[in-house]
Amino acid sequence: MRYVGQRILFSILSLCVLLFITFLLSHVVSGDPAIVAAGPNAGADKIAAVRQEMGLDRPLLVQFWIYCSNILHGDLGTSWFTRQPIASDIIRELPPSLELVFVAMVINLAVSLPLGLLTARYAGTTFDDVVRLVVMAGAGLPIFWLAIILQQVVAGQWRLLPTAGRLGFENRDFTGATGFTLLDSLMQGRFDVFADALAHLVLPAFALTLLFTAVGVRITRTAMMGEFRKDYVVLARAKGASEGRIMVRHVFANGATPALTVFGMQFGWMLGATVLVEEIFGRPGIGRYAVKAVTQSDIHAVVAVVFVVGLVFLISNLVVDIALFLLTPRKHAGA
Amino acid sequence: MRVLRRLLSFPKTNVERTAIVLGCLILLLALVGAFLVPFDPMKIDFRAKLQAPSMLHWLGTDGSGRDVLSRLLYGARLTLASTFAVIIVVVIIGCTIGIASAFVGGAVDNMLMRLADIWLGFPPLILALGFASALGASLEAAIWALIFSWWPNYARLSRMVTADILSQKFIASADALGVPTHRKVLHYVIPNAMDVMLIQIALDISAVMLAISGLSFIGVGAQIPAPEWGAMIADGRSYVSNGWWIVLAPGIAIFITAVSFNVIGDMLRRELDPTSRRR
Amino acid sequence: MRSRARFIPVLVAALSGVSSLAIAAPTGTLVIAENETPENLDPANATNSTVDELLLGAYDALVQFPAGETAVSPRLAKSWTISEDGLTYTFTLRDDVVFHDGSKLTAADVKFTLDRLKAAKANVLNDIGPLSGAEVVDDHTVKLTLSKPFGPFLSALSRIYVVNKALVEPHMAEDNARQWLAVNEAGSGPYVIASYNPTEAVSLKAFDKYWGGWDGNHVAEVVFRYITEPSTQLSLLKSGEVQIAPDITVEDKLALMKEPGYVVDVGQAATPLYFDFNTASKGPTGNPKFREMLAKTFDRQLHLDQVLMGLGTLPDGPLPTSWPGHESGTELAFDLAGAKKMVDDNGWAGTTLTVRYLPAIQEEKSAVEQLQSNLAEIGITLNAEGMTWPAQAATVQKVDTTADINMIYSFPPFPDPHAILNASFNSALTGSNGGYNWAQYSNKEVDALLNEAASSADPAKRAELYKKAQVLIGKDFAVITVSYPGSVVAVSDKVEGYKYNAAHHQTFNIMDIGLK
Repeated sequence: MRYVGQRILFSILSLCVLLFITFLLSHVVSGDPAIVAAGPNAGADKIAAVRQEMGLDRPLLVQFWIYCSNILHGDLGTSWFTRQPIASDIIRELPPSLELVFVAMVINLAVSLPLGLLTARYAGTTFDDVVRLVVMAGAGLPIFWLAIILQQVVAGQWRLLPTAGRLGFENRDFTGATGFTLLDSLMQGRFDVFADALAHLVLPAFALTLLFTAVGVRITRTAMMGEFRKDYVVLARAKGASEGRIMVRHVFANGATPALTVFGMQFGWMLGATVLVEEIFGRPGIGRYAVKAVTQSDIHAVVAVVFVVGLVFLISNLVVDIALFLLTPRKHAGA
Repeated sequence: MRVLRRLLSFPKTNVERTAIVLGCLILLLALVGAFLVPFDPMKIDFRAKLQAPSMLHWLGTDGSGRDVLSRLLYGARLTLASTFAVIIVVVIIGCTIGIASAFVGGAVDNMLMRLADIWLGFPPLILALGFASALGASLEAAIWALIFSWWPNYARLSRMVTADILSQKFIASADALGVPTHRKVLHYVIPNAMDVMLIQIALDISAVMLAISGLSFIGVGAQIPAPEWGAMIADGRSYVSNGWWIVLAPGIAIFITAVSFNVIGDMLRRELDPTSRRR
Repeated sequence: MRSRARFIPVLVAALSGVSSLAIAAPTGTLVIAENETPENLDPANATNSTVDELLLGAYDALVQFPAGETAVSPRLAKSWTISEDGLTYTFTLRDDVVFHDGSKLTAADVKFTLDRLKAAKANVLNDIGPLSGAEVVDDHTVKLTLSKPFGPFLSALSRIYVVNKALVEPHMAEDNARQWLAVNEAGSGPYVIASYNPTEAVSLKAFDKYWGGWDGNHVAEVVFRYITEPSTQLSLLKSGEVQIAPDITVEDKLALMKEPGYVVDVGQAATPLYFDFNTASKGPTGNPKFREMLAKTFDRQLHLDQVLMGLGTLPDGPLPTSWPGHESGTELAFDLAGAKKMVDDNGWAGTTLTVRYLPAIQEEKSAVEQLQSNLAEIGITLNAEGMTWPAQAATVQKVDTTADINMIYSFPPFPDPHAILNASFNSALTGSNGGYNWAQYSNKEVDALLNEAASSADPAKRAELYKKAQVLIGKDFAVITVSYPGSVVAVSDKVEGYKYNAAHHQTFNIMDIGLK
């Protein structure tokens, strides 16, 4: 349990760094935050009032303290564009993005893990070389370009999948309790909506994941390579265990841990990369919200997105690490 | 000469040889391409807009009648110069922090590296987006934004290498001789760190380039009429239905460049990285 | 091709006409694509077309400009009287209007609406001139008073959407209900805003107790889908997922004109697009000589022919040529050689300027590129900064942060020279005063002419005054009038009743539209 405690402590430390970074962005880099917060049309008196209210006339360290306590109370500021609390905007926009990243992650794992395992097993063969080449190519594709091309070809030319949006026209009124369309539709037994939502997710998720999958295959391969050389594999082979059994029961079970840590991190990175995909596919979400906020110079909204994505990143890492620890307790006993 | 021969012995496959040729070609084009352009990459000629690829315009013209090939060549310099600007500054800042951290050691070292670890983890694109929008949209802002989010990579790497060197025996004897710190850095640390840095740089070229073009695509990077490749894709988006070549060409350019440098980086790692050679 | 495509649906409509009269219930869903997301739903922001297009269906004003008409007609107000001195307007309201919550609309609501807009310093009041107050006479009579006569007052009231006092008042607090009205609706219009997801779609549903009734062919639901990409709008139009696509590229619109199944509507828009020079700048554009040089560097004919593909009219000064009071020849013609000579004579080569514009609007981007390219030829660098509307509007609130050049569309809220010239050139409405005079242009003579024209009711005299004002504005080189693009909207041929509304540019007359 000491590991879990340490892990949580590290997350709290990370949260502090994250707060420090976002504070830097909103209070130091972007100029006078009072002018930003007071919004357009604000006179000098209003700005002075806001400055005092936000404590901007106090030393930076005090300001940082105020900033942190505001955020920890769930106050991310007010968007001068939508005139709404940013926190409520983000709560609305987060589920569709998380859903997209979730589907992208499923594709990622479904491709990376088996391909990584197989290339490790058959390292040095033509199969390995070909996969390596494909992976390298995948790592060089700009996400946003891939998204445009996929949209134009698969949806536009071939008409295999929908072009844009989250749901088809006939399901436009669908709402659910959680905001996750896939989950809501299953809970309500609306399998038609589920299929529709999934069809709308395939292209953006694929475009989003390709680059990460390319990294995922390599990471998995490296992790598995190490396992194949270990004594127990040699021993298992000597005992006459089948190659498939060795791969799945031994190598994969043990080698997956370091790889899964990376996938945990990828979850947060993917959430950040939604800024490149959502606008193209006309999907609502935190990425599109961020892009809008950027072009509207709505600094507080942008910084809030940075914070929330960072937070999701921290949480997903923590969850993956603790889950792995609980699943394979012996590995960490000495740590 | 020996260095060159050593370098020439690196590529083992045709893929690697192709990547090297392409990589050199792209660098060459970035250097001299601006002088080779057949047309003025900025000159608007609406009468010639949206022409499909032809003998005159090999890659067609864009929505404002500019020659796509000329913009691509001209943009090669812009795109790669921005990429290298990021990498050079990041190497300098990162290494300064990393080396200093290793020399100072103790709690400061520990804290700096923890900070770098955590910082490194956060999604770089969204971090850069926040920074760029705080600065205001421009290519320079995008470059600074990436520096802001990329430095920990090199801080960690250089700290690792430096700490490794400092723990070796010859440093102890150098200490005994009273060699000053700056000479230790110049004579022992930097030469030894070169290989590791080179691998990281080659691998980062594609990542940084993809990030810059991504930021430009969103609108916080290069502004019109700059033919940065990501901005060119953003620019061509509206014309995909009647000018597919405008989006296709810069995308393929990014793709080829990124893959070439990835392959080269991979090759360097195999040849130079002691930990990977042991395998 | 085009005529045949139109003929068949007309026939079908004629055959089914009898039954559609009998059933007076709105049916079907109309989906409209829109490239910019709305800021909010606040009627205080009704000057912004992205907001106005949602409010137009959800709210009512005292008077209205029906699509295709250039004179105001009654809406909430059945009739009105204007006092001899032109200072008092007394409106008699309809007594059958109910808000969406079922409560009756009365004179108190009208007064509350105006008081709130005043307190909130709303943009929408910029065009309404010297309104000094509102007074409730009885439940269905309201009296509005002006501090001085204002010719286009009635026209200007067509953008004042009346809100439900009982709903809004509890949220007034310190921000005048800005936050509440940003996401909530308190109107009496034919449609109720049923869902508001500004990054995805906004849906409006027919209000069954609408006072105007539902006779004829109307849609039961209108959905605005926010689709940034012109190419995506096109594919959605083609797949039938949207019926109206206003933002696809001109090239695609020209292609659709020849395709059966679509109608490309070209409306005679009166929305001038300007390059506003920062005339109050301490930089180069503060110098009238320098602005004179700039005024020669844009080729309007080329822009019309090659960017708008002929779908528009050639500008001749800041007012549409067909409007009363238009003066010809006030702006300099395109003369790059002349501009080059001025640059050489004055040693201006090497100057760097900045232009801010909206990259989402294709013709703005093309115009900026055109100007960049021309200025580069005469040794001047023009940096471009793409923004969105609210961000750009925020930069002009101080002269210091105003770019050397700003691109701005003037969307006149009613067809009167006042709506364009006063908004764009009166020094009381400079960007730093919260208006659309982004040139920060200030000329006392021009102000006097504009104010005099506004308070006069004599059309001939007003026309004379506006002509004089245009001459003066021209001599100060405050702007380049880039174009008068037509309003080109691609519509599925299943849509009937769409008509361009010059008084609500870039919006849709959804209450007149039906689906075949």
